[in-house]
Amino acid sequence: MALLKSLILRNAFLITHRALVSTIRPSSNASVVEDDDAPVEMENPFKKERVQCILCKLNITPDYKNYRLLSQFQSPYTGRIYGRHVTGLCKSKQALVEAEIRKAQNCGYMPYYYKDKTFLKDPKLFDPENPIRSHRF
Amino acid sequence: MPSYELALMLRAMPKGELKKTLTRISHAIFNRGGIIRNIENLGFREMPYKTSSHGLVHREANYFVFKIDTATQAVADLKEENSRDVDIIRQRVFKVQEDKQHLSCTLPEELLPPAYRAEVQKMIEVGKTQVNRFTYKFKYNSGLDYYPFQK
Ligand SMILES: [Zn+2]
Repeated sequence: MALLKSLILRNAFLITHRALVSTIRPSSNASVVEDDDAPVEMENPFKKERVQCILCKLNITPDYKNYRLLSQFQSPYTGRIYGRHVTGLCKSKQALVEAEIRKAQNCGYMPYYYKDKTFLKDPKLFDPENPIRSHRF
Repeated sequence: MPSYELALMLRAMPKGELKKTLTRISHAIFNRGGIIRNIENLGFREMPYKTSSHGLVHREANYFVFKIDTATQAVADLKEENSRDVDIIRQRVFKVQEDKQHLSCTLPEELLPPAYRAEVQKMIEVGKTQVNRFTYKFKYNSGLDYYPFQK
């Protein structure tokens, strides 16, 4: 008896399922389909985003009084100013940074041959071990 | 009157003397028809390198920045007067950089391979107009009746 009941139930389900499918089909046959498949005007989705250097992105103009920022572009071992291939700055910003570091060093804000020890744990803006272009140092 | 920044290092001294020194410096500016826009105190701290001035070695200094507007011809005069001041260890005068309109970053153009960079293309163009010293051969029928170089 129970088996028969379950069979009937399954049959009923199958019938309703078929009915559902049959009701859906005719509507999808309409002319709407052709419009959906037409090419759509849109921007190039694969276009790469324009990269910017960190100073341009944050809109920072380097200043000789802000020697803490400038010391981040200095080697902690020799005080040497890192080049453009390491810092990843654009040409104009790199030139500005270098000029301002020279000024700060001349004014006695920044050392020449080492980095201020209080700034040694500042966050790194770039990795000198992995420069953008290879170099001979 | 253009704007200048007068970056000063003053020797370590008590507050009263420091005040006197600052007023003396500002009066020197006012006497030459200058205006002080702002005086910035960057604090008293150890210098990154020792400096000797007026027969004394200094290892610490009071850092001050005067933002002034003054005639260009008065600047040399001011510097000369400050250089005679025994309280000033070092002074530098910088012209204030005007705020340039924010130009877009040229980094993407600089990261292109060399053949696509404008400056490299220009360099190649210039190179084409020059004589290649390695492949150039002197022509004996050039009109000169002698060989102009050492053989
Ligand atoms: Zn940039």
